[in-house]
Amino acid sequence: MATEDARYRQSSQYRLWSFSPSHLQSLREKTNSLAISHISNRLRASSPPVDPLPDFLTPADEALLLNFYIVDLLRAAQFCDLPTEIQATAAIFFRRFYLTNSLMTYPPRALTMTCIFFACKAEGLYYRLQKFADKFPGTTGEEVLAAEFVLCQGLRFAFDVRHPYRALEGAIMELRRLGDFDESRLARAHQRTRDVLKLSPLLTDAYFHYTPSQIMFGALSMADEGLLQRLLRDAFAGKSESAKNQVLDVIQSCRAMLEKEPPERRTSYWDGSGSKETMKPLNKKLRKCRDPDRVDLVALQKARREQALQKAKAKTTTREESDIFGASNGKIEDEEREAKRRRVVGGGDLLGPPL
Amino acid sequence: MAVSPLIVHPTSALQGARAVSSPLKNAASAQTSSNGTPLAVQVVPNAAAAAAQSTSLDLAEQLNDEEKRKYVKGKKLGEGTYANVYLGFLRNDPSHLVAIKKIKIQKEYTEGMAPDAVREIKHLQELSHPNIITMHSVFSSKDQNLNLVLEYLPLGDLEMLIHDTEHIRYGAADIKAWMGMLTRAVWFCHENFVLHRDIKPNNLLIAADGEVKLADFGLARSFSDPYRPMTSNVITRWYRPPELLFGAQHYSGAVDVWSVGLVLAELVIRTPYIAGNSEIHQIQLICQAVGTPTEDNWPGVTKLPEYTVDKEVIPLRGKDHYMALFGTLGVEGVDLLMKTLSLDPKKRITARDMLKHDWWHKDPRPTRKQDLPKKSGGQGKVGADLKRRPGIIEEDRGSKVARKLDFGPAK
Repeated sequence: MATEDARYRQSSQYRLWSFSPSHLQSLREKTNSLAISHISNRLRASSPPVDPLPDFLTPADEALLLNFYIVDLLRAAQFCDLPTEIQATAAIFFRRFYLTNSLMTYPPRALTMTCIFFACKAEGLYYRLQKFADKFPGTTGEEVLAAEFVLCQGLRFAFDVRHPYRALEGAIMELRRLGDFDESRLARAHQRTRDVLKLSPLLTDAYFHYTPSQIMFGALSMADEGLLQRLLRDAFAGKSESAKNQVLDVIQSCRAMLEKEPPERRTSYWDGSGSKETMKPLNKKLRKCRDPDRVDLVALQKARREQALQKAKAKTTTREESDIFGASNGKIEDEEREAKRRRVVGGGDLLGPPL
Repeated sequence: MAVSPLIVHPTSALQGARAVSSPLKNAASAQTSSNGTPLAVQVVPNAAAAAAQSTSLDLAEQLNDEEKRKYVKGKKLGEGTYANVYLGFLRNDPSHLVAIKKIKIQKEYTEGMAPDAVREIKHLQELSHPNIITMHSVFSSKDQNLNLVLEYLPLGDLEMLIHDTEHIRYGAADIKAWMGMLTRAVWFCHENFVLHRDIKPNNLLIAADGEVKLADFGLARSFSDPYRPMTSNVITRWYRPPELLFGAQHYSGAVDVWSVGLVLAELVIRTPYIAGNSEIHQIQLICQAVGTPTEDNWPGVTKLPEYTVDKEVIPLRGKDHYMALFGTLGVEGVDLLMKTLSLDPKKRITARDMLKHDWWHKDPRPTRKQDLPKKSGGQGKVGADLKRRPGIIEEDRGSKVARKLDFGPAK
């Protein structure tokens, strides 16, 4: 098998974030039911207990809302003039996060901001926190950061997302090289495929089921099936027809998935004509059934920090007590550390570390 | 263009390989122990604190705990400003040692997770190669610290070997073996479209079996698209290529190759070859060692944003010059060195072509890794190496260290 495939299998996208459809579905169901049982217990335990328990979101509700918020996220990312790849990374981060976390557990609006901010960081574009928060009136830097850690954990610390955009540039170059088509046809297909890739794979589960090249071919097939056929003929020259058909089947199933959310959907989502109205009851439902402890992420983050600090303090106290019997190494170490820290600041070496 | 054939759905992604057998099973027990017990919630006055205390219920938290439980943390190997490093082992195979690097929350960095940590984790997640340090896992602990589970490399780094001229003897065959490992590591990075941007001897760690591993991906980044500028403020000064000193914002893997060339030179003369004490000085020394960059030998160089050289133009050094200094490498070795030190990055040899060079096939054959010179008593060193943050620990070498990124092009 091609070594390029072997290499893709090493990527975190394949190792950690690719699933069969049934597996994906079961994960979503588990996430949903865990959240419901957690929140139910919490509500029953509060004083006074919440008696009739609220109506909870179903996995299907969550899926609908998820896409609503991803469209929102893309709009916000576009408003920040972020490159296509970073927009897409943010959207995929969001999608991955809510595979193992429920929308009822962590408020999606806040995570939208965190995903965009962290996607910039992961792609090496250093947006200043304050500048970023200022773009969105009513949002503070603290709010953007509050969920950063939770997000990273939810992403299983896989920060590299493989997108199909460069693959498309490659395919178009390849088609030009073949020289069988006139430029206007290629330009049209190029544009159309790009449009598809900017939305459809982000609003479907394409990234969970298909490789970037399969997604690119699926989108190209939507734009111009003939071009896809031509590329495959070339790629499989001298190979068996069945090998080619196997690949073609996968591409077609990917295409079928992308077609559920064609680029035109963007306007219908954005106008809000259809979507906002359908989403209203769902959002209302969400407001009633969400985890009361995790609505305020800033407070949650503070509590977590404090807990960590208390734990650390408890540790140092015991160490100092034990130091009574020996030299107070602990203190010296701490002073050294402080001194080093000051040097770090002085040297402007704020960034960080090596191994 | 490769048509990626059928990629089978890795149904194992969450379940098999990472062994999260049944999330629901765990959930049940977690429930009764935490939120299932109403008392625990009522005792805590503040709701947020209650949530912070509640043990894992989310699938995400369970997955994290599964990772965490795979390892046992042992004694502290070292403590640094940026991270503490602990010896650890696999719970189900105590003979398998690992280094657990616990990254501290940095008070000074108020923008959330530090970019170094993000870069390091991002790239090490993707790169898997015998000459690149392996990151087995990442998990977070309760206090929200990041823990990187890394390969345990007990024998220190290449810098310690190079500079311990009293106790360590090595020859041309050893240099060839080490360079082979470094070149393969860099080739693999570039093949995966990653620039390391901080190659130097003390980022080359040595495994128990003598294998050299490229570490410290805190400055790494993916290859940029042609229209997107990158910062030129990377790579420790002594190993920084002329195009970066001249402020180039569009550059390639050639920047790493220059550093590799200087590691080769340093292996031979056992002292840093071009050790400037400022950027201007670094450029002057490059002119003396290699030659003055001009439009003749490097078309377009004068257009780079920070191009400045002395008026006196030093002609390019010829083969004789290098032979006099680096003759132990032999004619082919010197040829390879010269190709890595080409001023014009377009003419500089690539990592791929380096691997195809004749030098590797000439006598002497590279030393087998188990026979390579080793530093004795290196056990305690791994801590120092992993926690280190250049410019802090090694005060005396601080002058050569320039570990900062320019946030200029950011918004």
